[in-house]
Amino acid sequence: MQGPDLRHDHDPPRLRILLAAGATALAVTPLAVAAQYSPLPSPAAPLSNVPPLGGGASSSTERVHHRVDAVTTVRVAINRHGAPFAVTATQSLDVQVIGDYFFTIGAPVATVEAAPGSDSTPGLRTASIVWAGFNPGRRRLTARATLEPARASAALPLRVEVSSGVTTLVNETAVTVGTIVADVERAPLLRYYDALRAAKTPVAGAAFLTSDPQRTTVTVRAPLQVSGTIGARRISRVLTGRLAVPAAGVVRLTVRPVRPAFRPAAALSGRALLARVTTTLLTLARVRQYQSFLGNPDPAGANATTYRYVTARRPRPLAAAEPVSSGRDWARTMAIVAGAVIAVGAAGVAWSRS
Amino acid sequence: MTRVALIAAVTLALAACGGSGHARGKPLVIVVNAPFSRTPYLGRTIENGVRLAVGEVNAAGLRVGGTSYELRVQTKDSALSPARAVSNVRSAADEHAVAVVDEGTGIDASWRVARGLPICIVFAGGAGAVDPATRPNVFRIAPTDHGVAFRLAEYLIPKHLRIALLHDDSDYGAAGASALGAAFSQNRSSVAVDETVPADALDLGPQVLRARRAHATALLVWGRPATIASAIAAARSSGWDVPVFAPPTGADPFVRQQLADHPSWVNGLTFAGGRLTAEVGPGPFTSFEQRYEGAYGVDRVGVKTRAGQQVLEPPETAMYAYDFVNLLAAALLKAGSIDPGKVTRALEEVTTEGANGDERAFNRSNHEGVVDDDVYFARFSDMTYAPVKDDPLSATLPTIDQTR
Repeated sequence: MQGPDLRHDHDPPRLRILLAAGATALAVTPLAVAAQYSPLPSPAAPLSNVPPLGGGASSSTERVHHRVDAVTTVRVAINRHGAPFAVTATQSLDVQVIGDYFFTIGAPVATVEAAPGSDSTPGLRTASIVWAGFNPGRRRLTARATLEPARASAALPLRVEVSSGVTTLVNETAVTVGTIVADVERAPLLRYYDALRAAKTPVAGAAFLTSDPQRTTVTVRAPLQVSGTIGARRISRVLTGRLAVPAAGVVRLTVRPVRPAFRPAAALSGRALLARVTTTLLTLARVRQYQSFLGNPDPAGANATTYRYVTARRPRPLAAAEPVSSGRDWARTMAIVAGAVIAVGAAGVAWSRS
Repeated sequence: MTRVALIAAVTLALAACGGSGHARGKPLVIVVNAPFSRTPYLGRTIENGVRLAVGEVNAAGLRVGGTSYELRVQTKDSALSPARAVSNVRSAADEHAVAVVDEGTGIDASWRVARGLPICIVFAGGAGAVDPATRPNVFRIAPTDHGVAFRLAEYLIPKHLRIALLHDDSDYGAAGASALGAAFSQNRSSVAVDETVPADALDLGPQVLRARRAHATALLVWGRPATIASAIAAARSSGWDVPVFAPPTGADPFVRQQLADHPSWVNGLTFAGGRLTAEVGPGPFTSFEQRYEGAYGVDRVGVKTRAGQQVLEPPETAMYAYDFVNLLAAALLKAGSIDPGKVTRALEEVTTEGANGDERAFNRSNHEGVVDDDVYFARFSDMTYAPVKDDPLSATLPTIDQTR
């Protein structure tokens, strides 16, 4: 399923995890039946543990289901070799529906503060940001969090490598999941595919199998819209694999997970159509994951995440204070004390004889 | 059915004794540091809230790090004296108490001598008392002056009233003046006059008259209950039907007792306070109130409605004390230790359901258990109060029954 993005596009799948969506599809699909209903993978089910970070977000409001749309900007500071050393995330939650809220946003948080424009102040717990309060109708909750770089970096969608004047951008979102291949009734699946193309929020679907399904695996990636500059060179393209750019220098890239391209499917066989639809759904699920880097307490809410990679200098640790020294050692001090004693003694003798 | 109810009541009563029975584990003492001799009602309601929760925790069993413990309650009278309050906290630390539930007096010094022992304020809302960075062992479950002042400003400014800010010269009044100053700093045009009045003054006629001459269209009185009662009496006796607003002390029984001869004067008094109920409805608070009354009886205000019904005071402060003990128990379990430092850190990580059905929690950057959003407004009518309908939060809250 590797998209032939470039001539360098050969990266083998880095993640070999058989996960929920594919496993679920297999579990509910008996393998030795004909012309039967089979659910397709959910476009909303995550395909790996992260993202979102820290187990995602949750809401423990009593009776109110808040509608929450989440917009997150992740700033990744990379060194001159492309390695991330600092990650901050600014998440803005647009909370609707009047009532109490108590949200927990899981993340490896080091510090958190309210960002300008926030209607409330976030709380900090080990591995989470907490929001609590009452929403009088609409609340914008915006937190700026400094994340633990090692754990946050492992969930980033793009890896940057700088070497010998070449900057290589690598889509890191690949995941391999289990699925099935089979012949299907084409017409309903084509209609579903067309609906999927038009839908703003994709919904789950099903296929009618006309042959025994067989297990297989598929590797999917979230397509990344990468734009910005590397040194003096401008970049703007959708990256599904690896891209070597013959340029070096300061990296300033904006990365957004984007929906996959919907290629024409009318001419495909039933078997090929099922593979196409399945891959598209899994890709949408993967895109959704990377659009939810910090998670959203409303499972049905809209999510958008923008990743900004910027070359920066790692802040220098503060130099340890030099111990204050008088420039005098122990022997010298003793000599001075002894001299003082002798001088006082001599003065005393002189005084007694005067 | 009656027998079952009786058994349940006896069980609850025994549980509520909070450690007076035989020990089922190593004793673990919670100290209640409150002004029992100077404001007995306040001290007693804090103690009762603690005892009620302690009884329930002990009944459920408390096993921490492989050792069974039984919570005990020890009271120490601060007599509203900072020196005595500090001495009480010092001795609590010396005696290896597990936490202090505190009215708030003397906290600026007592937190230092606690040697890391968690202290939870359940009454005083002054600024600066709670700061996770500089006072990591201090927590609070009570509306803050800051939250009350800003919510009052948020509520009153859109009404285009010209507000007379009256605050007395008590510590509470001074803290309120500071909080109100900040809350109205961006809208000074809403303030007709800003005046300090003597605490506990019997006659505030001159000050109220100045407010009237300044063309005030509302009084916001921040002070002790006696100050609020005096301000209302001064306004009403002069025939001025100005709306009066107050912080949580407006709901203090003393205000109604002072004005009992003129019950109609209390009508319309609007106060800000911590919400007693959550969106799940009055059920959780009513259940708490019934358990509280079953163990300790009702708290009578000392006035009656027009229909002759006794007016009762809902156990609000007791609720905060009760909630803290439950958070403490959850923190002990999470910490797996009774070490004060570990318990303090665990308090920042746990959430429990409060007596009002709302989540109660602290975190590493906020040790306030009542967030500003939880401040609501209620208005008196016939000696009882009900949430107002012209505030988004208050409009969602049911009225708590206050009569018998």
